[in-house]
Amino acid sequence: MIRQRLSFLIAILAASAIQAAPPDFAREVRPILSDACFHCHGPDPATRMMGLRLDLKDAAFTPRKTGAPIVPGDAKASLVYQRIAHENPTRRMPPASSHKTLTPKQIATIKAWIDAGAPWKEHWAFVPPSKPKPPAVINAAWPKTPIDRFILAALEKQGLTPAPPADRRTLARRLSLDITGLPPSPQDVEAFVRDLSPNAYEKLIDKFMASPRWGEHRGRYWLDAARYADTHGLHIDNFREMWPYRDWVIRAFNRNQPFHQFTIEQLAGDLLPEPTMDQLIATGFQRCNVTTNEGGVIPEEVAAMYAKDRADTTGAVFLGLTVGCATCHDHKFDPITQKDFYSLTAFYRNTIQDPLDGNISDTPPVIVVPRDEDRPRWQQLSEHETRLIARRETVRKASLPDFGRWLDGDARRKLASPLEPADELLALNPGALTVRNQPKPFPDSEGLKTGPAHLPEIRALYFAEKSQLELENFAAFEAIRPFTVSAWIYVPKKSDNYTIVSQLDPQSRGRGLALELNGRTPALKLTTQPNKTFTIRAGPLDRLQPERWYHLAASYDGTRRLPGIDFYIDGKLIAAEGRNDRTPLPGDFKTYAPLRIASDGRGRFFNGGALADLRILTRAVTPEEVNLLRAWPVIESARTKDTKTLTEAEREAFHAWYLHREYSNFMNVSDEIRAVREERRDIAFRGAVTHVQQERTDQKPFAHVLYRGAYDQLRDKVEPAAPSALPPMPEGLPRNRLGLAQWLVSDSNPLTARVTVNRFWQEVFGTGLVRTSEDFGSQGQPPVHPELLDWLAVDFRENNWDVKRFFKQIFLSAAYRQSAAATPLKLEKDPENLLLSRGPRFRMDAEVVRDSALAVSGLLNPRIGGASVKPYQPDGLWETVAMPVSDTRFYVRDAGDKLYRRSMYTFWKRSAPPASMDIFNAPSRENCTVRRERTNTPLQALVTLNDVQFFEAARALAQAALSEAATLDKQLDHMTTRVLARLFDLKERAVIKKAHADFLAQYKANPAQAKDAINVGESAPDPTLDPAQLAALTMVANSILNLDEAVNK
Amino acid sequence: MTRRDLLSKTGMGFGLTALAPLLAENLTDPLAPKQPHFAPRAKRVLHLFMNGGPSHVDTFDPKPALKKYAGQPLPFTFRTERRTGAAFPSPFEFKPHGQSGIEISEVWPKLAEMADELCVIRSMKSEIPNHEPSLMLMNCGEVRQVRPSMGSWLTYGLGTENKNLPGFVVLCPNGLPVQGTENWRSAFLPGVYQGTRIDTAQTDIEKLIENIKPKFATLKDQRRQLDLLSQLNRRHLAERGGEDQLLESRIQSFEMAYRMQMEAEEAFDIAREPESVRKLYGEGLQARQLLIARRLLERGVRMVQIWSGAGQPWDHHDDVAGNVRRLANTFDQPIAALLKDMKQSGLLDETLIVWGGEFGRTPTVELPDNGANSGMNNGRDHNPYGFSMWVAGGGIRKGYVHGATDEFGFAAVEKVVHVHDLHATLLHLLGFDHTRFTFRYAGRDFRLTDVAGNVVKELIA
Repeated sequence: MIRQRLSFLIAILAASAIQAAPPDFAREVRPILSDACFHCHGPDPATRMMGLRLDLKDAAFTPRKTGAPIVPGDAKASLVYQRIAHENPTRRMPPASSHKTLTPKQIATIKAWIDAGAPWKEHWAFVPPSKPKPPAVINAAWPKTPIDRFILAALEKQGLTPAPPADRRTLARRLSLDITGLPPSPQDVEAFVRDLSPNAYEKLIDKFMASPRWGEHRGRYWLDAARYADTHGLHIDNFREMWPYRDWVIRAFNRNQPFHQFTIEQLAGDLLPEPTMDQLIATGFQRCNVTTNEGGVIPEEVAAMYAKDRADTTGAVFLGLTVGCATCHDHKFDPITQKDFYSLTAFYRNTIQDPLDGNISDTPPVIVVPRDEDRPRWQQLSEHETRLIARRETVRKASLPDFGRWLDGDARRKLASPLEPADELLALNPGALTVRNQPKPFPDSEGLKTGPAHLPEIRALYFAEKSQLELENFAAFEAIRPFTVSAWIYVPKKSDNYTIVSQLDPQSRGRGLALELNGRTPALKLTTQPNKTFTIRAGPLDRLQPERWYHLAASYDGTRRLPGIDFYIDGKLIAAEGRNDRTPLPGDFKTYAPLRIASDGRGRFFNGGALADLRILTRAVTPEEVNLLRAWPVIESARTKDTKTLTEAEREAFHAWYLHREYSNFMNVSDEIRAVREERRDIAFRGAVTHVQQERTDQKPFAHVLYRGAYDQLRDKVEPAAPSALPPMPEGLPRNRLGLAQWLVSDSNPLTARVTVNRFWQEVFGTGLVRTSEDFGSQGQPPVHPELLDWLAVDFRENNWDVKRFFKQIFLSAAYRQSAAATPLKLEKDPENLLLSRGPRFRMDAEVVRDSALAVSGLLNPRIGGASVKPYQPDGLWETVAMPVSDTRFYVRDAGDKLYRRSMYTFWKRSAPPASMDIFNAPSRENCTVRRERTNTPLQALVTLNDVQFFEAARALAQAALSEAATLDKQLDHMTTRVLARLFDLKERAVIKKAHADFLAQYKANPAQAKDAINVGESAPDPTLDPAQLAALTMVANSILNLDEAVNK
Repeated sequence: MTRRDLLSKTGMGFGLTALAPLLAENLTDPLAPKQPHFAPRAKRVLHLFMNGGPSHVDTFDPKPALKKYAGQPLPFTFRTERRTGAAFPSPFEFKPHGQSGIEISEVWPKLAEMADELCVIRSMKSEIPNHEPSLMLMNCGEVRQVRPSMGSWLTYGLGTENKNLPGFVVLCPNGLPVQGTENWRSAFLPGVYQGTRIDTAQTDIEKLIENIKPKFATLKDQRRQLDLLSQLNRRHLAERGGEDQLLESRIQSFEMAYRMQMEAEEAFDIAREPESVRKLYGEGLQARQLLIARRLLERGVRMVQIWSGAGQPWDHHDDVAGNVRRLANTFDQPIAALLKDMKQSGLLDETLIVWGGEFGRTPTVELPDNGANSGMNNGRDHNPYGFSMWVAGGGIRKGYVHGATDEFGFAAVEKVVHVHDLHATLLHLLGFDHTRFTFRYAGRDFRLTDVAGNVVKELIA
């Protein structure tokens, strides 16, 4: 017996010696099970067979009637192995009907794994967190919150004791910097120091958290993750109007929006029922990625790139997973398959966004964001418009009896034009041309034929190769006059680019106007003098199909502005691109060159195309009138028909005409609607535009697996889905971005809450509990305090994702309140302060360094929100990187108080991020960044020592001190209470006084140098102060601002 | 258990072990000098980037067969960016030079005198006949994705020997080349390793390096200020128990900034060179660029990259005869002077000088088209299939020609050297095993050579 057992053992040992280590469950085994088995034996109850689950350990190991699916250590006894290796193909799993097979190697992997004991280990981050009980500690007096018990237990294990609490001034400064991103006012510090009430500290937290600076400071971190910037990023890198999204982020934090809603609105605000304007603005999160309009790029490739960026961002920000690793192949380390990755991109590919940004500031989809003061009226108008439209419908119905009588009468037989003849500049039909209601001889043109149009009774003009009509001697279009062009057009098949109508002047670089089809997409081109061309074109979804008739109309309101242009296809107003630039046109497009039909006079024609009922009107028509223009050929052909023989369409056309031209009730409502729309347009004009996300409604989300990530190597079509290694999306959730967002914040998601609390933790302590805050996968760092992380995550979720509460809990902890001073033992056992054996202390981010200097000097402009500003920057920094045609080629510095806004409002050009922030490790915002580097370089010292912004702040700080206090001691107090929240001790004062005396002597002897030191920046030095005194104190102030203590939290 | 299993089991990918000491040092000073994997043959790199793609059959790769086929279609051809036609023989004569007898085009009369210093690679190969991806491949080792440039890798791996100057300096006059700053980006490597680009058209030091001069205080006052700062910081340090690496490094960084204010100005000022040296290099922008480069290299800058100019000066879709001669002429004397000068001082032995573009050009004539070369019939199109580069300096085999293109110079056929191979070889000479020289980012280890590249042993002396 013993011998037998021994030999058995030896056999096992031998086997394990020969065999390599067992296959890794997460990396090698689970993907096989997931791919081949989970469909019928996995999480989805709808498709589950025989009640068997193989995705859960318990279910897979529990014996059933016929045996256990998996018997650890014995593959041959395991049903799973028996069935996948079955000799009989009809018994073999997976069944033929599943169209899946296992390779011999995969079967061997499963066998090896089971034989090795079937180690079923899930990566920690994929196991849903539970709320552990805070551990017992020896020093029970120290903890102030549950957090502290986790921290202290670990410290005690290492034989470390917590640091003593920091003094009140240090605490006030730390709190203020963490909550508002600015140093505290001396008044706040003093009040806190003197407040002896037991909850003085908590009151201070509440006070700081009530400040709107909270939203700015928290928002700034988020903008790194959201990769917010003010330019498109690639190639020409033009301006992008996006700042309303930044304002939204600030507002969201300030109203303490629960984080799960914050998530849902940014990922799917547009898919919520009746979304508010704010919910739409929030979707800008998805529009912050870099885009391009480089000539020659392939739209499909760019679209794939954007979807990848959005999936990568979702991975990093919410899941803490490097999903992008699975772009070209299955993730090598984490259980994310290539299919998973493309299933994730599928959520983001169902957008109406054109891959090419058009180099415009408002690449659709965008929305208008009225000014705050306009918002109520905007809302009112929108409701009013809805009511008016309803009323018009009532009026329309009420008109039926009168309309019936009119229809029976004679008047309709004499109808001559769709709209008031007085408004008509030109009308063209086969054989008939009228200009200003005067019949004109029809111009000659070779190759012009008449043929059938969209209605049997109507004839159209067909343009053979290079044929055109030329009409001379009148200027049809002018920047200060409204117009409308309307026509039925037949789109030929030959090519994609045509000119329909043009009036272009070859003598002045093509000044004029052209209505074209570019890539079969309608476009209106305006070329002004001075030479500049504006192209307003329909979106990619509005591409016309060849060999079909369409009604096309373009109207312009004569306001010299591009938003005054509207485009209609088949009577429908479409979202045209390139019309949101609200600056006045730089010149005029009026010209007396010939008006050309079907040619641009430069070799582009309408070869094979046809036109019917072309009209040019001298006013901008309403959408309803466009429909009348569209219907006019119907009326024309049915004018003399007997009422009884009229078709439904013909009746409708007559009805429309009657309402617009005869029925005053209707005309009155239409006027009201027009007025409302005009007012809305005015408000939009004053307001801003922001990029939003909008789902395509003509298809369901999908994507293709792209072989090796190449956009043109399409493989399997996939539906949107959560990564297969994570809990699946519950049945009830829609398979779109809304479902994705809801899944991210659902209780079953093991990652989102953990990843979020970890990032918040990182904001306060400098390092996350998981150091790699962007990677919770198996290649990331494991958490330092796994139980604490889980406790925080569950606590956050259980408390309704309450962000302020979460941060307050951290601030209330004894761990946070520790002094930052280290001891040799702590440096040895906890060198990087990962265990929190002392308080947090690290170099502040670029923005906080600059904002602090502005705040303490009194220069800071407290305005919150709004468009980006351009503070000091060395000349020529943009020119050297920008393309010659870029609209962000030249940096035009702002003046006045815009120089002193908080840094989060600094204009962010991606190809040349603000230099002084770049030097302090601000990211370029080209990609999602959830963790900044924190370097310490001489170039940083050059900025804080020599940069005009910092030197000016030093001067302003010294000036305020001099104006307020008479003695050097008091002046120092003024400065240090603001910069360091404390007073210098006697030794420090002695050092400073010595230096100050030297500076003063130097400047007294050299008045010119004193002048150099105080005439810095745009703000002027106080002329009543002695220049030498001010210069000397400025040098001291500059030194104080450069202290390590000043740039550290 | 495979090696891969072992590494994944212990939670380490390749390279993390290898670079652990580097990372540890980074915590204190990212630019501190570091030792590579093994003893290097060279310490620094000067990359003379002929952006636009110089024609190899007109410079370093003689193809007499083109004369035979002149005006006739070649028996085979490859797809390039634009349409090309018949064989287009070089308008220039090639002659053997030096003891090595390397054949070099007449456009390089002075450089040819230094032929025995050169290692000419005639079998270079890139991937795509467009500038942007080829620039990315040559500089960052990857055509599409965002990767760090070679100079960033080197400063990351080796630090810098002169902390008064940036470790990786890029000289480009009058604007940026195609693809701009991406050519010297640090990508996911810490920003401190990014190339510092200097517009050598500027001669004013203050435009060269921002905030390099105190504008509002004299250096003397600033010294006084830094003394004050240092005293206060040291007091603070003492209060904090005397041990705080970050605080220590901040104190150092201020001192460094102060020193840079003096040395940077000096380093970029070629007026300080003796007249004989300036004469040797000659007149003009390229002479100035090369002289600045030498001054930076001798001061310990890790990598200097010189660009021909903004845009793509060597992109000769027309008038090869005129353009190649004109551009080569601006470089010929300065490069020859640089080689002579650096050889004399011994600097050449520890510096790698790399000359080349992002690709070569077709041996066939580019057909005239609207736009670029309309009406012309005397240019060449882009050619990534085969082109020439040369390397000189520390550890490189001198007076040697490596590999060959086909009979006409269209594609590399003998001992083909892909850009990844060149990178691997340069890294090898600098003391790195390119497969172990990695950086962990977004869940995986990245290298300059991606997943390819072989050290070309024949290039090494």
